[in-house]
Amino acid sequence: MKSKPVFFIIVLLTAALFLLAVFGLKIGNFELKGADKMRYGIDIRGGVEATYEPKDLDRAPTESELQAARAILETRMDASNITDRDVTVDKSNGKVIVRFPWKSDEADFDPQKAVSELGETAKLTFRDPDGNIVLEGADVKKSSAQIQQNNMQPVVTLELSNDGAVKFAQATARLIGQSISIYMDETLISAPVVRSQITGGNAEITNLESLEEASALSNKINSGALPFSLVVKNLNIISPTLGSNALSVMVMAGKVAFALVCLFMLLYYRIPGLVACIALLLQVTGQLLALSIPQFTLTLPGIAGVILSIGMGVDANVIVSERIKEELNTGKTLRSAINSGFERAFSSVFDGNITVMIVAIILIIFGSGSMLSFGYTLLCGVIMNFVAGVTASRLMIRSLSNFKALQRPQYYGAKEAVK
Amino acid sequence: MIRFYQHRKIFFAISILLILSSIVAAFINGIQLDIQFKGGTIVKYTYSGQINAEQAEKIVEQAVGRTTNCQLQSNMAKDEQMLIVSLASNEALTSQEQETITSVLTKAFPDAKLALSESLTVEPFIGRHFFINGMIAIGLSFLLILVYVGLRFKNIGGLSAGAMAIVALLHDALIVTGAFIIFKIPLNDSFIAAILTIIGFSINDTIVIYDRIRENERLLGKKVSTEELVDTSITQSMTRSINTNVAVFMSITVVYIFAQIYDIGSIRAFALPMMFGIISGCYSTICIAGPLWTMWQNHKQKVKSAHA
Repeated sequence: MKSKPVFFIIVLLTAALFLLAVFGLKIGNFELKGADKMRYGIDIRGGVEATYEPKDLDRAPTESELQAARAILETRMDASNITDRDVTVDKSNGKVIVRFPWKSDEADFDPQKAVSELGETAKLTFRDPDGNIVLEGADVKKSSAQIQQNNMQPVVTLELSNDGAVKFAQATARLIGQSISIYMDETLISAPVVRSQITGGNAEITNLESLEEASALSNKINSGALPFSLVVKNLNIISPTLGSNALSVMVMAGKVAFALVCLFMLLYYRIPGLVACIALLLQVTGQLLALSIPQFTLTLPGIAGVILSIGMGVDANVIVSERIKEELNTGKTLRSAINSGFERAFSSVFDGNITVMIVAIILIIFGSGSMLSFGYTLLCGVIMNFVAGVTASRLMIRSLSNFKALQRPQYYGAKEAVK
Repeated sequence: MIRFYQHRKIFFAISILLILSSIVAAFINGIQLDIQFKGGTIVKYTYSGQINAEQAEKIVEQAVGRTTNCQLQSNMAKDEQMLIVSLASNEALTSQEQETITSVLTKAFPDAKLALSESLTVEPFIGRHFFINGMIAIGLSFLLILVYVGLRFKNIGGLSAGAMAIVALLHDALIVTGAFIIFKIPLNDSFIAAILTIIGFSINDTIVIYDRIRENERLLGKKVSTEELVDTSITQSMTRSINTNVAVFMSITVVYIFAQIYDIGSIRAFALPMMFGIISGCYSTICIAGPLWTMWQNHKQKVKSAHA
C-alpha cells in the first residue's frame, strides 16, 4: 500500500523535468541567453560551414602553422563582426573548420564572399607612426610566446630573417620611444613601444597581460609568415529562412507523432498504455536535456532521431504489456503477473537495446556532419529507454495496481473471462 | 500457432522477388551517388518570375568553364521557385568561383530576385572518404551484432542464430537500398544512417524472437521439434512485433508527410526509404530469420544422426 504515491511522484517529476527542458527550448527560440539554450546546427539556424586547407602545400602542415591559420581566420571574423562562431583545428588531417551562423536579419550578407575573403593570404605589416611599412610578414621567421625567467612576465619573442634583422635595426634606431604598430591586413593587433635599438634579429614584445594574450599575438604574427594561403575544400551554406522553417515543421511532426503513438498505446493497452505515454514523455525529456546540458549541436536529422525513438521507445512497454497480458491469461494474480511480466521481458529489452546502442555508437563514430546528431539522439533515446521504459514504468504500474479501482485484469489486457 | 516454417518457400520467394526488382531498378535507374560521396558542388537559389534553365547553364559554364547542370523546381507550400545549379568536377569549386556564379546569374536575370538558399561543395577525395567510412560502419555493425548475438544466445546455437539474423539484415539493407534506387534518391550520408538504423531496428525485432526461443527451449525442452519451437515463439511475439512496428512506422510516416508537405528534401530522402525498411525489418524477422534458423538446426540434426 505504501507505493501508491509513487505514480504521482514520477508523473510530477516527469512534468517538472519536461517543463525545464522545454523552458530551455523556449529560451532558445526567443534567442535569450541562458545555460540551457539549445545549440542548433547550421541546417536549422542557417549558416556556413567551411573546411580550409593549405593551398599547394606538398607536406602536412605543422600544428603551429595550423594554429597560426586559425588565428588569421579568427582575426578576420572579428574584423567582420562575426562573433558567434566556432573554429576548430583538425590536426590529423591538416584542416581548419569554420562554422558561423547566418542570421535572418542579415539581408545583405553575402556568405560566399565572406568565406572567400576569410581564406585570403594574411598580410602582416609592422608600421611606423606615419603608417610607413618597416617590416613585412616574410621578414619574420618565427614568433613564440613564453614566460620570462627573471620576472615571470609573459612575452612574445620574434626571430627575424637576415633581411628583416637589418630593416628592424634601422627602424628601431629611428623610432626609440615611439611605437611600432603591428597590423594583420588592416586590423591593428599590437602597438609595442620601442625601448632601444634592436640588432641581431631577435626582439621581444613585453607588457602583455597574460600568457594567453601572448600566444594569441604570437599566432597572429606567425600567420603572416605562413608559407601557404588557405583554400576552401568543403563548403556548406544554408540560408536562415530555409532552416527555421524546417525546425518548426519538424517540431510539429514530433508533436503529432507523439500524440499518435500515445493514442495507440492508450487504446490498445489501457493502464500499461498510460504508463507507456508517461515513460515516453520522460524519455523525450531526457533526450532534450542530454542535448541542451552539454550544448550538443542539434540538426534536422537529430530531430528525426528523437521522433524515431518515440516510435522505438514504446517497444519496451509493448513487450512488458504483452507479457503481463499473457501471465494474466494463464490465471495469475495481478501482482504476480506484473512482476513476472517485467522479469521475463527484461532480457529481450536488454539485448534489443544493446544492439541499437551498438549501431548508434557506430553512427556517432563514423557519422559525418549533421548525421552525428542523429546517432547521438538515437543513443540517448535508447539509454533513456532503460530508465523510463523499464525502471520508471515498473514503478508506475506497481503503484497503480495498488488502487482498488484499477485492479480489474481487463484494464491490463486480460481476456474478460479470466478472473 | 502460425506455421511459418511450412510456408517458408512462399516467404523466400517474395523476398527474392523484391530484391530482384531492386536489382532491375538499379539497372534501369542507375545508382546515383550524391555529391557528398562523389564530390562536386550544388548551389541553390530562390527566385521569382521566369528563368531559362538552358540559358542559365550556358552562362555558368562560360563563367567557370566547368560542366554545369541547371534545374528549376517549384515549391507548392511556399510559392517559391528554385534554381539548382550543380557542377560535377574533379576539383572542388572554390568559393571565389561560387561568387562568380552568383554574380553572373544575377546580372543575366536582373528581375528574378535571385537569393542564395543553399550551397554544398565537397572535394571528391573527401567524398570518397565519407563513402568508404559509411561502408565500413555498415560492415562493422554486422560484425559486432554477429559477435553479440553469438555470445548472448550461446545455448540456442548463438553463431548460427547470429548468421541467420545477418541474412535477414542483409535482406533489409537491400530493400532500403532498393527504395533509394526506385525513388531515384541519390545516396548520401542519410543513406548510411537509414541503413544503420534499420539494421539496429530489425535486429532488435529478431532478438525478441530469439529471446523467446531461448525461453521456450527451457520450458518445452526436447518435447517439441525445432519447427514447433520456433513457430510457437514467433507466434507468441507477433503481437508485440506488429504493435512496435505500428508505432515506429507511424512516427516515421508523420515525419515523411510533414517533410513532403513543407518540402524539406534532406528529411524526405531519409524518411521514405526508412518506411520501407521498417516494413521489411518486421517481415524479415518473422518470415525469414526464424524459418532460416530452423532449416539450419534441422540440417545440423540430420548430419548428427547420419554420423551416429
